[in-house]
Amino acid sequence: MNMMSYAIVSVKNNSDKLNALLMGMKGVVGCDLFAVSYDDIYTVVSNVKGANLIADKINALTFAGVIDTLAQQFTLLPVRFGSLMGSADAIVKMLERNRHEILQNLLKVENKYEFGLKVFCDSGKLMEELRLKSGAGEKMHLKPSPEIKNSVYRDYLDKKLAEHRLEESMLAYVDAVITEIAGRLEHLGAVNNFKKMVSEALIIDAVFLLERDKKAELIQVVKDLQRQNAGLRFILTGPWPPYNFVDLDIK
Amino acid sequence: MYDNEIDRSKEITILELLDRVLNKGVIITGDVVISVADVDLVYLGLKLMLSSVETMEQLKSGQSIAGKNKQVNQAMQ
Repeated sequence: MNMMSYAIVSVKNNSDKLNALLMGMKGVVGCDLFAVSYDDIYTVVSNVKGANLIADKINALTFAGVIDTLAQQFTLLPVRFGSLMGSADAIVKMLERNRHEILQNLLKVENKYEFGLKVFCDSGKLMEELRLKSGAGEKMHLKPSPEIKNSVYRDYLDKKLAEHRLEESMLAYVDAVITEIAGRLEHLGAVNNFKKMVSEALIIDAVFLLERDKKAELIQVVKDLQRQNAGLRFILTGPWPPYNFVDLDIK
Repeated sequence: MYDNEIDRSKEITILELLDRVLNKGVIITGDVVISVADVDLVYLGLKLMLSSVETMEQLKSGQSIAGKNKQVNQAMQ
């Protein structure tokens, strides 16, 4: 029988509260949940037979639900779905070996939630606006070179140059939006992580780690951003347990 | 229109959730035996890095995790 880990939890002399909470919950495939501890760190686990652990949507959502419920009452580090260990002893040894790093990570995410922000755009429309905006400048730069007399080559080079400039304009635009978002979030003390140009439509995919009591302020910031950037679509998700802010390689 | 917006937001939230559960968080090294829906039991050995059900299906057929992650990201877009 294997044990499936859900989260590493900071209990802080309140193990009774954790145990009481686990009594009323079920894990993946309806298994009972319980905690395995070393010192003041607890790992929430359930027994699971290998054949029962199917990586489908229902199990993944059940797994996420357990982590979410725990995260509402405790500071925790979510464990990735599918992490099995052979026994409670193996888990205790794992916690013992990694205690320092685990405590550092727990401290980093203490009383904080993760939020996701996706910024979508109509890429065709935005490209056209940027093309028009930079049109005048382009014409000045694209004077025919005296060395390139063949119009096929010149057309090709002009086309490539125009594409390159459009890409640069797009990146500069996305950078400006990121700077605007980061600036608005600065006073909230959020830890940010931005990915840009994830796809043509998804121009920014960001995650923030934020104090739990600043959720309302974050929502207001996103509402303001949406109002002032009507051509973009801002989608805020969360609060999430700190999935994206775990920096831990378990030994 | 409004219903479509809500549906899209729900869809994005579920994709975000699945992405986090399957791709993020603490990775604990261990022996892992997992079966994928309607696929035979798959033994993946040590240091499993689950990405998605599709990734596991591809792993079984010999494709790389990196290649699949790219596809999962594209599919989510």
